[in-house]
Amino acid sequence: MADRLLFSKTGRAKYISHLDLMRTFQRAFTRAGIEIKHTQGFHKHPFVSIALPLSVGYSSQCEILEFGLVGGATAEEVPARLTAAMPEGIIIHQCYPAERKLKELAFVNYIINFEYSEGRPQASEPAMQELLSRESLVMQKKSNKSKKGYTEVDLIPLIRGFNLECQSDTLTLDAVLCAQNPGLNPELIRAAFCQAYPEYAPDFVTFHRREVLDIDGNPFR
Amino acid sequence: MNRTLEHILPKVQKPARYTGGEYNAVVKDKRTVDTRFALCFPDTYEIGMSNLGCRILYGLMNEQEGLWCERCYAPWGDMEEEMRREGLLLYALESGDPISDFDIIGFSLGYEMAYTNVLNMLDLAGLPLRSADRPELTPLIVAGGTCCYNPEPLAPFVDFFVLGEGEEVTLEYIALYRQAKEECWSKEEFLREVAQIPGIYVPSLYEVTYHADGTVEAITPKDGAPATVTKRIVEDMDKSYFPVKTIIPSTEIVHDRVMLELFRGCIRGCRFCQAGYAYRPVRSRNPKLLAQYGKAACEDSGYQEMTLSSLSSTDYPCLMELCDELLDYCAPRDIGLSLPSLRADTFSMNLMERLQRVRKGGLTFAPEAGTQRLRDAINKNLKEEDLLQSCRTAFSGGWSGVKLYFMLGLPTETDEDVLGIADLARKVYQCWRECTPNRARGVRITVSTSWFVPKPHTAFQWDAQIPMEEYQRRVNLLRDALKRDRSITYNWHDPQTSYLEAIFSRGDRRLADVLETAWQNGAKFDSWSEYFDFQRWMDALKACGLSGDFYAHRVREKDEVFPWSVPSVGVSRQFLWHERELCYQSQTTPDCRTRCSGCGANKFLPGGVCNG
Ligand code: SF4
Repeated sequence: MADRLLFSKTGRAKYISHLDLMRTFQRAFTRAGIEIKHTQGFHKHPFVSIALPLSVGYSSQCEILEFGLVGGATAEEVPARLTAAMPEGIIIHQCYPAERKLKELAFVNYIINFEYSEGRPQASEPAMQELLSRESLVMQKKSNKSKKGYTEVDLIPLIRGFNLECQSDTLTLDAVLCAQNPGLNPELIRAAFCQAYPEYAPDFVTFHRREVLDIDGNPFR
Repeated sequence: MNRTLEHILPKVQKPARYTGGEYNAVVKDKRTVDTRFALCFPDTYEIGMSNLGCRILYGLMNEQEGLWCERCYAPWGDMEEEMRREGLLLYALESGDPISDFDIIGFSLGYEMAYTNVLNMLDLAGLPLRSADRPELTPLIVAGGTCCYNPEPLAPFVDFFVLGEGEEVTLEYIALYRQAKEECWSKEEFLREVAQIPGIYVPSLYEVTYHADGTVEAITPKDGAPATVTKRIVEDMDKSYFPVKTIIPSTEIVHDRVMLELFRGCIRGCRFCQAGYAYRPVRSRNPKLLAQYGKAACEDSGYQEMTLSSLSSTDYPCLMELCDELLDYCAPRDIGLSLPSLRADTFSMNLMERLQRVRKGGLTFAPEAGTQRLRDAINKNLKEEDLLQSCRTAFSGGWSGVKLYFMLGLPTETDEDVLGIADLARKVYQCWRECTPNRARGVRITVSTSWFVPKPHTAFQWDAQIPMEEYQRRVNLLRDALKRDRSITYNWHDPQTSYLEAIFSRGDRRLADVLETAWQNGAKFDSWSEYFDFQRWMDALKACGLSGDFYAHRVREKDEVFPWSVPSVGVSRQFLWHERELCYQSQTTPDCRTRCSGCGANKFLPGGVCNG
């Protein structure tokens, strides 16, 4: 069975793309003197796989990477050794043998922060409340598979639950979204909000993954 | 991270280029730092990060206490637009602080087409472009790199230029700067003093006068500045700094691998090659030391690829020994070892076979000229039979492609030489037919030609670049000659940038106005087709009342005062003139190991003996 890492990606590291992150991990294992399994075949390379690719610019404290630990360090030593070999902003929290299948990862808890530099409009909260309480909320989503270049997706069934919190210049949406098959990219919630309420469009939005959950809402590891 | 930056980054392509924070990037506590240096590369992050010279200077400077060197690259157009809109000044990657607050801003100048990016970066930093408009001591604008052997077009913008290898002189001028800051010197006082450090050229201390025909009449030093500024070199490569720990980018760059510099200089003496003259004399590193460095660098970086880089790596005396040792380390770890600058001879081919484990795609040779006569004239020491034999070995070994590089417009070139390129390519094709184990797979032979640009400090510094129509005619001649050979692909270099290179590489300081005008009209990233606009340059030349042909297409008199008369690479003008005369007689000069030809560069070494 494979091994897993739980890591966070914040600060400057937010801007490292998924592919670049995989390469960074491959090199970091070598730098840290940790031996890992290689793929077989003609072009052998160290095998790493990241559970749910994170969009560029998003931060996360619950990323999961699969690999195979061969030697050079014990599982307990891996987090500190590997973190030291990483670029700024990537911290490895745990290294453990995988016990559950990745497809049991059902939900992602996102913290989505809507920022208003001139102060948050009062009505933005009820507006968001209204939007997410609708029966259905259909948005177009880019797709290479479809002939039209996009497909339609209803957001509501993919939102398991949410909570709103207000400050003087931010509106924070704490939402649990479906993770896969199909998953919901929280960017679509931002887009839907700006479409429905252009007058409350924020100046900037940040996205943060706080936790990955199983079907019962418990942390997935 | 700066909030404005954070708001901008989601809108631009490849934002990881603009964040810093990579593995091995050096972050110092500002309270312990008295001097801040912004090491700027006037091109994209991907290109700048691949520059070995910058990696060396970065590591070297950051080893010094109290000195913090950070990096800065030219933002791509989308990023620039956002920065200007949001009023975000050009910042250094490590701290995010605006480079205008730094003590010294140093540019690395490797090619003329990056000059407008220097101006653009100064402007993005919020600094006046011209040295005269920056009366304060800080920030000082400094430049190094091969373009500084004739930096005249940038003379009004840059406070001083550093000639040659920067390892020692950089620390020397920084020490002087620290003294100046401590004692509150004015900028003038500092520039006068720094001009006394060997290898430093302060353009404002030289007055240039011109003849009515536009040629330089005299270059007069003032305030005690030296009449000649000779480049600096590192005498002993074994004692020089090697960047074992370098920044490992979190995103892809052009040369994303360990670069092992075997030696500096080149023994060959190709008459067109500026690097060949400018880096003399040859100085090699000890193979044991190199092997150690190479292994340590792999270990520290996690790179799976190492390249042996030097001007002509196969001239390294202990190459076999070094490769064997490196292979012992690399092979079991699946680290690829490559040799980019191969000569076409049997020795190199054997080596190549041992190094390349899997990739058998393309092989590259640069015969530069199509006939032996012209190769002799430019002193390109390559025999046709060696080239063909190398190709035979390669094809028998399963290679299925060869790239051949040539120049058109070399001095003394005739149509016969141009057509000789086609002949040579056909002979290579013939070799493939005879040797390939797999004819069904086919072969790709690519012939590429560029338009020869005469460079300062070479044997051809007096020569004219052929006119553009003539270049085009020779391209057509060759294209027609190769029309029927379906296995041979012919590519020719776009002539417009080569024309500008010919203007700026031998230009004088009047061209500064042209640079500024072109930049004002939008010129930047001129080596990128996305941005390059030839007409903009023609308009700028016209607006400044200067003729591009005067710089590019004019043959110089033997004793003409060149705009680059003050900087010296240590090779005597008489030697270069003699080399030029030999060219016109199609006579060769032996390489430095076979026999010293007395170029003058031996004076850099202890005892005055070249022994690399
Ligand atoms: S002095 Fe002689 S050996 Fe030394 S670089 Fe010049 S020609 Fe070559």
